[in-house]
Amino acid sequence: MTDKAAASQPVFYPLGENALTIEFGSVIDEAISNRVTAFNRLLNQKPFPGMYQTVAAYATLTIFFDPKTVINQKNITGTTCFEKVRNYLLSIKIGDVQNHAGEAQVITIPVCYGGEYGPDLQYVAEYHQLSPEEAIQLHSAAIYKVYMIGFIPGFTYLGGLDARLETPRKSTPRNSVQPGSVGIAGAQTGIYPLETPGGWQIIGRTPLKMFDAAREQPALLKAGDRVKFEPVDGAGFEKYHQP
Amino acid sequence: MKIRIKKAGLQTTVQDMGRFNYLSQGVPFSGAMDKLSAQIANRVLGNDINCAVIEFTQSGASFYVEEDLLAAFSGDGVFVSDDGRRLPSNGPVFLPAGNTISIGHNKSGCRSYMAVAGGWDVPPVLGSRSTYLTAKIGGFEGRCLKENDVLSSTGVLNPLNLAVYESLKAADINYPNWAIARNTFLPKDRNTIRVTRGREFDWFELSSTTDFFSQNFTVGLNSNRMGYHLQGAVMARKQQGELLSTAVMPGTIQVTNEGSMILLMADAQTTGGYPRIAQVAAVDMPLCAQLKPGDQISFKEIGLKEAETLLLKQWADLEKVSIAIKLKYA
Repeated sequence: MTDKAAASQPVFYPLGENALTIEFGSVIDEAISNRVTAFNRLLNQKPFPGMYQTVAAYATLTIFFDPKTVINQKNITGTTCFEKVRNYLLSIKIGDVQNHAGEAQVITIPVCYGGEYGPDLQYVAEYHQLSPEEAIQLHSAAIYKVYMIGFIPGFTYLGGLDARLETPRKSTPRNSVQPGSVGIAGAQTGIYPLETPGGWQIIGRTPLKMFDAAREQPALLKAGDRVKFEPVDGAGFEKYHQP
Repeated sequence: MKIRIKKAGLQTTVQDMGRFNYLSQGVPFSGAMDKLSAQIANRVLGNDINCAVIEFTQSGASFYVEEDLLAAFSGDGVFVSDDGRRLPSNGPVFLPAGNTISIGHNKSGCRSYMAVAGGWDVPPVLGSRSTYLTAKIGGFEGRCLKENDVLSSTGVLNPLNLAVYESLKAADINYPNWAIARNTFLPKDRNTIRVTRGREFDWFELSSTTDFFSQNFTVGLNSNRMGYHLQGAVMARKQQGELLSTAVMPGTIQVTNEGSMILLMADAQTTGGYPRIAQVAAVDMPLCAQLKPGDQISFKEIGLKEAETLLLKQWADLEKVSIAIKLKYA
């Protein structure tokens, strides 16, 4: 367990003049990720003047701000923007934030496994001496946490993959992975939102648009969300499909 | 005010000051690579600094003026009319319909900008008019401009835009006898890039960090709006182990597993897993934006406080430019 990691004091460091990162730890760990999620929520409810975005990652939360606005905040102590932002963050009791992971609802993502949508399902199954059906069962039984969004718009890094499915990346990446493809890379599983080159083992595809600039929230998932996959067949895929 | 693209050039896109509010969803900043030049072009017209501009990459592009135009050029490119006149940068220029303007060779630099009074009319996507090619969003249909594309201005002119326009309207190309000295906003030595230490600076051998601050590095061929590969001394690690993916931003210098460096630029991904040896001072990002493959740079360390002071001072100086223009045409 990770009581020690979760209880350690966060470290603050600058990411240039416009951003500050809070480091809660340095390993992939559910308890650390839950602190990132909880503090991210708290901070977005209590933003400081000049703050415009936060980026959550496995063990860090990065806060982006406009230095022109921050430097003029006379009621926050500090001689630089970094000091002012750090002091503000300390004032909202960062140390008290613990595990609030239970709050997130579980979002169901339909996935058509195998076949043309999941060309690497067979390989992943054979790698672990499973049948494709067993591999699908394991992948769709778990509840995953969105640890972070990055790489390209809407790309989700999910934690919680069953160890019996952990599979190395392909030795040669594909030139093109289709949007909605569900992949495995080591202990990670994730969904490609856009057509892009990629080296993950592709086991299925969701008909949902993971990223759509026309939506109010373009990325379907956000860091901290809980996700489960629901197997659908070809007909089910077509039903959900949004061209 | 309207133009038609005649020659597309190497990479010509519509940009603004960037897309700020979707980083959490993995959408990068984008925006003009050289935001200093882009905003000078807007400021000299009396535009909001976030009005859409056209970003040209190196030489070769040209456009035809379909309707009278109040424009401003900036950046390192040279803008030339079809009768061979070199047009001024960093000040307003009136271009009557019928002219063809091309971006000519310049011995240094890479990117140049063209603003129009009222801004170029493209729809905002996720709060910005910047083109982000990877996701095919923003700018002109999410892509680079190509031959025969027609761009119009918004047609929304503020009183200052109108005053500048009235003062320059003529039968021929016309411009005033003033321009902003863009060079005063840039350091004299344009090949020394000031940086602050990155979070993982201490992961590298002393011999490597010494090289980092003393050797020259060459911008590699494989360089674009997302980032530049830097060729030169290998950055050797004394601390092994993987960095857990975390936020990065334009100006972050990452070191790959082979010890080579990548300088992230405007379209950089929002997160990365390579250790970060340094972060370019925001005031020197316009210098980086003007680098092209083969150019050589070196790095000089400054403190975070100095970097911030420089940035705030530059902002204040740019505001003074806008005030001076307002007073001149009021």
